[in-house]
Amino acid sequence: MFQNRAEALALALPAALFAAAVFIVPVVILLSDGFRAPGGGWTISAYTDFFSSSLNQAVFLRTLKLGALVTIVAAVIGYAAAFAIVSLEPGAKGKVTGLIVLPLMISPVARTYAWIVILGRTGIVNQAFQALGISEAPLRILFSETAIFIGLLQLFLPLMIISLISALENMPKDAIPAARVLGANWFQVFWKVILPLTKEGVVIGGTLVFTGCLTAYITPAILGGSKVLMLETLLYQQVSVSNNFVAASVIALILIVMSFAANILLKRVATARNKTTRNTKGTA
Amino acid sequence: MMARNLFIPITLGLVIAFLIGPFLIIVAASFSAGETLAFPPQGFSLRWIAKVFTVESFRDSFFMSLFLAIGGTLAALILGIPASYALSRYKLPGAETIRTIVSAPIIVPGIIVGLSLLRYIVVPFQVGITLALFLAHTALILPYAVRVVSASLGNLRSDIEEAAVLLGSSRLGAFFRVVLPNIRGGIMSAFILGFVTSFNQVPVSLFLSGPGVRTLPVDMIAYMEIVFDPSVAALSALLAFMSIGIVFIAERFLGFSRYV
Repeated sequence: MFQNRAEALALALPAALFAAAVFIVPVVILLSDGFRAPGGGWTISAYTDFFSSSLNQAVFLRTLKLGALVTIVAAVIGYAAAFAIVSLEPGAKGKVTGLIVLPLMISPVARTYAWIVILGRTGIVNQAFQALGISEAPLRILFSETAIFIGLLQLFLPLMIISLISALENMPKDAIPAARVLGANWFQVFWKVILPLTKEGVVIGGTLVFTGCLTAYITPAILGGSKVLMLETLLYQQVSVSNNFVAASVIALILIVMSFAANILLKRVATARNKTTRNTKGTA
Repeated sequence: MMARNLFIPITLGLVIAFLIGPFLIIVAASFSAGETLAFPPQGFSLRWIAKVFTVESFRDSFFMSLFLAIGGTLAALILGIPASYALSRYKLPGAETIRTIVSAPIIVPGIIVGLSLLRYIVVPFQVGITLALFLAHTALILPYAVRVVSASLGNLRSDIEEAAVLLGSSRLGAFFRVVLPNIRGGIMSAFILGFVTSFNQVPVSLFLSGPGVRTLPVDMIAYMEIVFDPSVAALSALLAFMSIGIVFIAERFLGFSRYV
């Protein structure tokens, strides 16, 4: 450790000042705009206005709902996939993990665009449905919540799987056989052994997936269209169509608060679960 | 045990098909000979791949994105390497605050960063869109640069540079002759991570577009809203192969995943 304070500040301050000037100051001003009263002074009327509109309420709830659904489904699939991957031989494990990570390198525009080909009116899904006689006319899957859900799940599932792989690898190797020998069924093994031991991984993965869904723009823009909005696409519309910068500021703060709240909430869940496992250890 | 033997291949098959399948469909659709985007592709031709190179706006926005990805990452490293060094080697007052400020752009949604830059930097100070995009992408990459370079500094024992100083080297000389060669891999990894992040970034650049100035992914979204031909599929496939190629080479030669 070097002690020279002036030298340290000279090295660190340019980066900090840059981030503050082009990022923190403008964002703080933008957020404060939502609280400015027209005649001067401060008010929260922009927020009450925003939430009094039923369209905005629907968008807000849809964003929360899709975020929660994608996170839960990603966790369920993620456990199955991560479990399968850690039980592979080392060589195969590396290759499969590579295939899971690969989509993260591909432009999200390209990944989302693929779903237009698959879910569109003449897409593969509709062709299959009609060939199998499931439906007569092509179904409208694109520009719906279902399409956004599928797109978001595909976008963020790798983050959940990677978090769970490292969590499962750090789990003591004999925990599962031990629980099985002592008579636990697979459901109990998951709920009482695997979940408590991997909670940190699922919490990290869940936070990444949930905040990713909240702040995704490309997926709802391409797969939801201009009718099925999420908060990010609503923000874009408010600025580019309605020129309503106050509403944009309100949505911005909601997005930031929700991201932070998700982080804090999940951290709480992690520590609370930690306590219960410690207590059971104590009594056993 | 039979059920378990089937569970692994079926689960992995389905998950990989879900994650990779759409990308393969895009690649197949870009070789189509037909007029509209479709799968299975109608016939085989290279016309849409050839068309990508003739669309002028794609060419302009590609070079814009390339400039932002390279320039923004270099700028972020020039700011980020000294900051990481100060944070890991010095007793710095307010180190945690500085770390938070520098990594803040990763926490706030990109669309908000872009909008606030437009409203409070571009408009009041008459800053050009290109410069604003450059600033935004630099701020966006800075957290990654600091994180990856800090990780690689953390793996390097600090007593070797202290030894160099004791043996008469200046602090600066010790940094360039001892520290920098040892964290080269980390810096290259930060560069690649920053490049890919910037190149694929949409929300930050969304509001920062002017006449003739746009990043490639924003241009692609605008194009696909008007034209429904396979050229966006072809471009997507080309870009994907570019990203995969870069990351593959990086993994081969640098052990990229050690740092990220």
